[in-house]
Formats: sequence, C-alpha cells, structure tokens
Amino acid sequence: MSQHLSYIPDPIGLNLILAGLGGQGVIFITRLLARTAAAIGQPVIASEVHGMSQRGGSVISHLKIGGNSEAPLIRRGTADLLLALESDEALRNLLFLRRGGVAVVDAEQGPPPEVAEHLARLNIQVLSVPATRMAVGLGSAAVSNVVLVGFVAAHPFLAFSIEALKETLALVGHRGHELNQQALEAGYRAGRLRLSPALPWELTQSEKFRSREANLVTTHSLRQSTEESR
Amino acid sequence: MKHAVLLGNEAIALGLVEQGCRVVTSYPGTPSSEILAGVVRFKRQLGRRVYTEWSVNEKVAFEIALAASWSGLRAAVAMKQVGLNVAADPLFSAAYTGVKGGLVVIPADDPGPYSSQTEQDSRLLALSAKVPVLDPATPIEARAMVEQAFALSERYRLPVILRPTTRLCHALQSMAVDDVSAPDTAIPALRFCREPSRWAATPRHRYQLHVELNEKLRQVEADFARSALNYAIGDGGSHRVGVIASGVAFHMARQALLELGVSVPLLKIGTPYPLPRELVAPFVAGLQTVVVLEEPDACIEYQLPDRSRVRGRLDGTVPTAGELSPEAVCAVLTEVLAEAGYQVNPAPGDPELQALIESLPLPVRKPRLCPGCPHRSTFFALKREFGSDAIFPSDIGCYTLGINLRAVDTCVDMGASVSMADGFYQASRLVGDGRPIVATIGDSTFLHAGLGPLINAVHTGARFLLVILDNHTTAMTGFQPTAASDMAPDGDAAHGAARRVSMADLVRACGVAFVRVADPYDYQAFRSALNEASRHSQAPEGGVAVVIADHACVLYDPSLLRQNPAPVMVTGWCDGCGFCVEAFECPALTLRPDGSRVDIDDRVCVACGQCIHACYKGFIVPHTAEIVRVGP
Repeated sequence: MSQHLSYIPDPIGLNLILAGLGGQGVIFITRLLARTAAAIGQPVIASEVHGMSQRGGSVISHLKIGGNSEAPLIRRGTADLLLALESDEALRNLLFLRRGGVAVVDAEQGPPPEVAEHLARLNIQVLSVPATRMAVGLGSAAVSNVVLVGFVAAHPFLAFSIEALKETLALVGHRGHELNQQALEAGYRAGRLRLSPALPWELTQSEKFRSREANLVTTHSLRQSTEESR
Repeated sequence: MKHAVLLGNEAIALGLVEQGCRVVTSYPGTPSSEILAGVVRFKRQLGRRVYTEWSVNEKVAFEIALAASWSGLRAAVAMKQVGLNVAADPLFSAAYTGVKGGLVVIPADDPGPYSSQTEQDSRLLALSAKVPVLDPATPIEARAMVEQAFALSERYRLPVILRPTTRLCHALQSMAVDDVSAPDTAIPALRFCREPSRWAATPRHRYQLHVELNEKLRQVEADFARSALNYAIGDGGSHRVGVIASGVAFHMARQALLELGVSVPLLKIGTPYPLPRELVAPFVAGLQTVVVLEEPDACIEYQLPDRSRVRGRLDGTVPTAGELSPEAVCAVLTEVLAEAGYQVNPAPGDPELQALIESLPLPVRKPRLCPGCPHRSTFFALKREFGSDAIFPSDIGCYTLGINLRAVDTCVDMGASVSMADGFYQASRLVGDGRPIVATIGDSTFLHAGLGPLINAVHTGARFLLVILDNHTTAMTGFQPTAASDMAPDGDAAHGAARRVSMADLVRACGVAFVRVADPYDYQAFRSALNEASRHSQAPEGGVAVVIADHACVLYDPSLLRQNPAPVMVTGWCDGCGFCVEAFECPALTLRPDGSRVDIDDRVCVACGQCIHACYKGFIVPHTAEIVRVGP
C-alpha cells in the first residue's frame, strides 16, 4: 500500500466534499466557494442535491476547483478537503478523503478515539471547529456554515483570500449580510490562529481578549436558553 | 459579467434565451425546476421578449409550446422525466406532424433515483416516439447544445429532445458569459398557416407522415455521423478495449481512466438517438471489448448492430439500477480492463477505515416535513380521526413524507390518490371491506391530474374522503405558482397577481355535494370538518366528500407565524413516553437519550404551537401559561 501514500488523484485541482443536514446551508456554501473560485479565474464544477433530500435529510455537495476534469462527482478516497456542518455527517463522509486529506468539522469534540487513531495512520487530519457556538455568539446559529468557510479559507489547501470571499458573500448573501460578513471574519480569524500560529498575525492582545469574552457570553446565553426550554 | 457559475438548468435556460426561443413552458419537477425560473431571470437580464408559464401539467405545457412552434416561433418545454409520460401523447403525435419553428423538449432524467418514482430513460421514450435526442455531458455543453437542437429541429421540422440528467441539472459550472448582451432582434410577423393534411392529419395522412418521419430519421442519423457532438479521444495507439459513453457518464469514464492510469480509446456520443451506426460500428470493430456507459438505462447499447463484443447493462457488467457513481464506473472498467490484461491502479481508500465507519451507529437521516408544516397538522388530525384502520391513498409532493406519520399508504403518480381511492372503494365493496378511505392530494397535484379522477369518482358513486392539502404553492420544487395561487403564471412578481381559480368552486363543479374549507392549524374545527365529511360519505345519499385543508406553506409564507407566534414548552410532568416524537414527528421534538423526557430544540422550533395537540396528556403547553411544578 505504501506506493499510494503520495497518490493525489488530481495534481492540479482541489477536490472538496461539503456535507451537512438539509437546511444547514450546504448548498449556500457550495455556491459561495464555487463563485469565489470562478471569480479568481479557476474553473469550477460542482454537484448539488436538491428536492426531497433537502427536507432534513443528509445533504452532500461535491466541488472541484481548478482541476482538468469535468466530471461532477468525486470518487471515494480522492477528496482533499471535507467540510462538515455536523459531526455524524462528517463521519459518514470521511471515506471520501484521500491519504493526507483534511476534514474540517463543526463540532466541539474530535472523532471517536478508534476513528481518530485510524485516521492518524492514514495521515488524515480532523479539525474540529466550534462553528455553531461561534455563530450563536455572533447572534444566530444559522451562520455556522459561513464561520466554517471562513475557517477553511485560512487553510493552505484552499488559500482563498478573505477579500475575495467577502466580495462573493456580498453578492450571494442578500439576507443577513452583516452577520454573514462577521461570521466569515470570525471563522477566518479562528482558522489563522489555529492553522498558522507561528505566522505573524494581526490579531492584537485586546482582540484576543474580546473574542474570549464573546465566548463567555455565548456559553452564558446558551445555558439560559436551555433552561428556558425546560 | 465575464464569468458566471451556473447550474446546468440555468445554463440550459441561458441557451434558450440566447437562441431566441420565444415561448418556454414547464411543469415543476425535480431535477428540472430551475430551467423555467432561469429563463424568467435571463429574459429580464438580457431584455428579451419570451413568453413563459408554469402550465397546469406537462401535457398542457407541451401543447402550448407546440402551438407556438406551429405559429413559426422557437419554443421549448421542460419537465422531469415522468412528466414526459404525461406529455407522451402530444410528443408521439408531434413527431409525425412535425414542427415549424424549432421545438426543443427537455425532459430531465433522474438516475438514482433522487426525487422520482422511476429511473426511466427518456431516450428510450424518444426512440419509441421517433424523436432525435441530444445528450449533454456538462452545463457548458448543454448550453451549446440548445443551439444545435434548434438548428436540427428547424432543418428537419422535427421536435428535438435535449435530455439532461440530475447530475447535470444540478451541477454548477463556471462558464464565460461575455456574448450574451446582444440586443433583442425583432420578432418576425410569423403566423399559423393552415395545412390540414399535416396539422389536422387523419389516419390516411398519418401513414404518409410516418413514411416522411422515417426518411427524416435516416437523414438525421447520417448528419449525426458527421456531427462534432460525437468524437473519440485516446492516444491513437492500438488497444484491445474501448469505451463508449454519453452524458455525464462520459466525463466520469474519462476521470476513471485517468485515475486507473490507463489510456484506452473513449468515444463520446452526444447524439444517442438515432445512433450514428456508420460512426460507431467501425469503432467497435477495431476493438476486442467495448464498454458502454450511459444513464439511466441502455439506449446506445440497444442500437448497436453487433453486441458480441459489447459489455454494458444488457449483459450485467454495468449495474442495471441506480446512479453511475465514480466508484461504480471504476469498478466496471477495472473488471473489464483486468480481464483484457491491463494493469490498473488499485482503488484508493482504506477498507479497514470503511469497515470501522460502517460499524458506527450513525443515525439514518430520512427527510421529514419541516417544522410548522401544515401537512403535519393535517396528517396528525387524520390519524386521530380515522385511526390506523383507514386506507390512506396519497400522491406526489412534500406530503408524501406523511408516510413517516403512517398517514400515506400509496403513492403511484400525479393524481392517483383520487382514482386509487375510487378503486379501493369499488374493490372493498365487492369484498365487504368497510374500512374508511381517506385520500390526500396537494393543491398543485390536484390541478395537475386530480380533476378527471374526481369527476369519475362522483359519477361512479364512490364514497371516500378527499383532503386537498392547499398550501398555496408548489412547495416541494421551490414555490412555483399553481392555477389557484395568487402568483403570476411564470412566478414573476413583476407581473402582479394572477387570475385565480377557486379550489372550492372547482370541486363543487365536479359534482361534489360536500365541500368544506378548514384550517388544519385550527385543530378542533379541522377535526369536526373531517368528522362531518366522513359522515357525509357514509350517509345514504352521500358520496365523495372533500375537505380543503387551507394553510400556506410556512416556508413560502412565514408571515402568519411571524404575526402570531405560539411558543410552547414541555412541562416537568413529561414522562418521556415519546408519543409526540412518534406521532407528530416534528424535527424540533427530541426524546432524551435516557428516555426521561422530551425537549424542544429552540434552533429548529418555529413556534407554530401545533405540538400542543400532540401530547394527549397535556404536558406540552403554551410558553406563557403558568405551570405549577409538582412533577419530579
């Protein structure tokens, strides 16, 4: 098997799988990333699922950026990145990742230990991002998908400039525009902090403090709303 | 606008507008629904005069477009594949009579199936109707093929089918859109010209038209043999194995060959019917084995004159049901190539990881009705009123998900709920089965194909209850207008309100004596309407009784919820019996893993307040109520 360790299916393109539940905005972020890639001159082909599956079922998009294949689907074991808006949907779609691939998941915890161990052997990295918690802190859980996109934009695989993403977001996100921009920014900052801590980074000490404060507020309001519902 | 990312359906729509199509009609159905919506958008953007409408059904849509074509205009009609069954009658006839202005028929096939009752192949219907087919592989090609389709249609005066599949319809692709701002040309003063031997042909003339059609197809096939829509790729070396592919399967095959590390000749067929045999036969003859990859069924394969060297669906090499996934294509090619002695790259991915993931207890996520959906309230009331004994024929739409609430027993095709209820009544009378029969049908579906069956049921004296779920829109496919909704026929708000037909008046006009309009959100009133209706259908002089469950889709029109939110809470008395979770099945109601109680998920709940009726113990209460906590 060792000769396949470095097997990269499409040496110039990037294969992404985006997964989540109906209503979480998988299609929205697929279009956001696709349009951003097209705006910076990359050829794009993607596949969405519409119709019955949108009513709360599992939703998955395939997105290919910059490659030379016009096939809309990605073969299992050949995706570079998996973006999952929910942890069970992440597990369900892990098999799409190639060796050396990366999963970015909206979750508070990593995968179950036996899975994590196996993924490490395959050199697959799982990054758990508390995107929903961050989104609630910003004002609405609905923008957790955009938080996650912001986070991924900081990953060297994608390396989209945050400005390009912001421009597209301004075009596609007609509702809740302000909040979407904030979510993108927050995700991007978290991504930069997490993925390249050694890099010189513009986040000042006071900003760090403020973001910690925001987290505290979030936890508090979460607890409050849980109590109310009882 | 230099580059745009368009859905396959939008690319087709842009192609139609660019090519001067003047009339576009459709009936909504996944995966075709974005085509007409795209035409409405692009005609406005580009300032083109195009008549667009969501017709009452696909047969009507086809005939509206056909009349435009017979008047000399370019016209197109779009629908999902099963919609072409509904429009098959005019399609078969129009192949004989031919057309005048170019007529492009766009049935979207659904391999999988993802949102359909069958995996039928529209190319096979086209073969039977004798109508040429173009089969695009990408959104870019689909847009370009619209031009070819119109040219072909006008050269041979034949309707032409442009056949996309789900993965093309819902593929997003970046494409250049520089050339779309050309000003609209004047519409020539074309008009319908009488020619009874063609446009009103009797059987004697139909024979002549059939001879003419066969001759046209012979010429079309010869044209296709020289068409740039069919081409071979490969390294030019001598090979034992080759591949023929069309549609999305072409790029899947191309990608698979790259991944397998094998370079064998690949013949792309853009014109699957009539198959240019003159082109394909020499390709097959030069090889030991030829794999045919096409979706959703065999069509090219059936037309190959010599299948002795062919591997495909007919010999079982290619799976005969389901979508062609990259994994399936790679598996087929690996098998055939290995047999022929080729070395191929093994499949990537790790079997151990796969086994591990499969062993995890991941929840099965089936689609459910949305929180606040009025259909849920209707189904819940139906189950409470008629119990588990009743027969519940239903129909095609969001409300098919009523199956989760055990209030949907049958789902056949558009409008069948009414005729199946009629049939169940006639059958049950013969065998003395006295169970109540309660049919459900959506507003759009009822207008599409429910009226005929209702007239039949009234006339034959059938006794059942029909509940028309009127949510004011065609919800499942993205809120297209119906004839009874207040949107303009093409869904364009700029056109203002439409002439509405009254659902209740229609039902009365069919001869139904008992018609009630009731809001399913008003639980008690709705229950009593059901009860009254049921008594009418059983009374000596009774017959079909109709209740119109009138409440707008909460996604389509959330204003009522916003104006009158009814937040609820689960009291401390909740004992976790789980009845509400089972019987009401709202995504916002969750039973705790330890089974101790039910919680309301605030992120999902829309405060419709309907679940109050779902707890027969009364432990779901309005949030404002003062509750004395005595429970555990």
